[in-house]
Amino acid sequence: MSSHREAPEIAKDPAADSTDVYAFVSPDQPATVTLIANYVPLQEPAGGPNFYEFGDDVRYEIHIDNNGDGRPDVTYRFQFQTKLRNPDTFLYNTGPILSLDSPNWNRRQFYTVSKVNTQGGVTELAAGLTCPPCNIGPLSTPAYPALAGAAVHNLGGGVKVFAGQRAEGFYVDLGSIFDLANLRPFQQLHNQFGMHVFTAPAPGVNATNHLNVHTIAIQVPTTDLVHGSRSGEANPRSVIGVWTTASRQRVRLWDADNGENLDSGPFRQVSRLGNPLINEVIIALGDKDRWNTLPPADDKQFAHYYANPELAGLLPVLYPGVFPNLAALVKSGKARADLEAILLTGIPAGIVPGFQNNTGPLQADMLRLNTAITPAVKPSILGVIGGDLAGFPNGRRVFDDVVTIELRAIAGLTFPLIDKTFTPDKAAGQVTDGLDPSSVSAPYLSQFPYLGVPYSGFDNPS
Amino acid sequence: MSTEHRTGESPGPGQPTARKQPDLSRRSVIRGAAGLAGAGLAASAITGAIAAPAAAAARPARPASDASRREPVIVHIRDVKSGEMDVFAGTSHARLTDPGLAARLARGIS
Repeated sequence: MSSHREAPEIAKDPAADSTDVYAFVSPDQPATVTLIANYVPLQEPAGGPNFYEFGDDVRYEIHIDNNGDGRPDVTYRFQFQTKLRNPDTFLYNTGPILSLDSPNWNRRQFYTVSKVNTQGGVTELAAGLTCPPCNIGPLSTPAYPALAGAAVHNLGGGVKVFAGQRAEGFYVDLGSIFDLANLRPFQQLHNQFGMHVFTAPAPGVNATNHLNVHTIAIQVPTTDLVHGSRSGEANPRSVIGVWTTASRQRVRLWDADNGENLDSGPFRQVSRLGNPLINEVIIALGDKDRWNTLPPADDKQFAHYYANPELAGLLPVLYPGVFPNLAALVKSGKARADLEAILLTGIPAGIVPGFQNNTGPLQADMLRLNTAITPAVKPSILGVIGGDLAGFPNGRRVFDDVVTIELRAIAGLTFPLIDKTFTPDKAAGQVTDGLDPSSVSAPYLSQFPYLGVPYSGFDNPS
Repeated sequence: MSTEHRTGESPGPGQPTARKQPDLSRRSVIRGAAGLAGAGLAASAITGAIAAPAAAAARPARPASDASRREPVIVHIRDVKSGEMDVFAGTSHARLTDPGLAARLARGIS
């Protein structure tokens, strides 16, 4: 998964567990950037009676670095508050929810959005904003798209926000990847540990289909994010680094007398996500929890994981004879400067014609977006390696196939960017888990918040 | 003798420095901590009155809402012998060193 349950500690804390981060120039509002952070992973839509929600005790933030120091220059902070209308019923709703102020809706969430500047100054942008309910079913939420649409709030100044349930838009074949990287389209080539289970390829299975997440999305004018004025793709000031964090107060006490938790003390980061799949498959188990507590500025200590990723060494072993050039590259011990550039510094000018998203020499895991690159008319889900400079790793759009992109990069497809003498294996340009946006049943939206209408509990599972 | 090191809301890694938080004076810490002694060593909550809704006379009273509670003061004695303790209230944290207070608190549950 991109970052669902990716580290031992955060896997126990779904409300604070970030799953995906997206950052892209809004295709329908190209003077703005849309930032999305998803939380509360793998929601079965039929989640009643206590449907999924954000944590009132979690501080959710989306950070933007616009000067390459791996620390936030602009932060959007979201703090939630749950209100119960009627404590004398077990029901989430006592009738159809036809509006966000419906008296039938019993357990509601509201939130405050604040902007934090470099000096730590906090400006409240809006308070008391409504979240939509979860998508329950045809009797409880009969007009869900319109209901959720009413929860898109215009804050003025070109800023829009949304916080609430959405369909999971990230597609991945978890079952195959974590069954010893047995990618179904190539399963007959896997060494199968000598068991000879698979003799033919099979299509991928989207493990996250028909599941929901909780989305925090904000669309802001690009000029609110970049440092100074941007003036074209080549200008380093056009590039921003984006990541999300969740923080909890340092102390939690179970107040048994009142049957509730008490939280106290300063907030401390417990979850982090910038580039997809990093803490999932790049960082080793022994460092995952610590990685989640640190800012991108401290990532140099993890650079060896990017320079010599474990998966690059595994692919030639698991698929004998399929990746001979990758095997030789791994054996040579050469650092994967291509991956370090893509994931830790951004790609400098002169590597990919007409493109750069470099933020300087500091190694910091951030989703880097060159905000001066206009949205593609005909996007490629393979982003930059598919010839589409507006896609991952130039930011990330909701439909980008980040699993395939990163698999191919790790398999050596991008190494020629820094070493022209290297010839990638043919398989490096073909490897995939076999999925694409058609593997997501809920269509993406063409406008904010871009992720699809969440699956209803009545209809899913079917 | 006691020493005190106070920290604000968000000096942690990746966290922007935040607004000034409500002051956590040593006096209030000790007052809060002293109140813990009878209730338990590590922590306690100082809460407001619990009011049962008038319309709910037929059922047991529920705890008051969060809004009506006073903030808890939570003390973590890191080492009784040295008297090093962390005190938490709201979004603040103070590190105190007070062997006498730590010993009195420890005696409170022994």
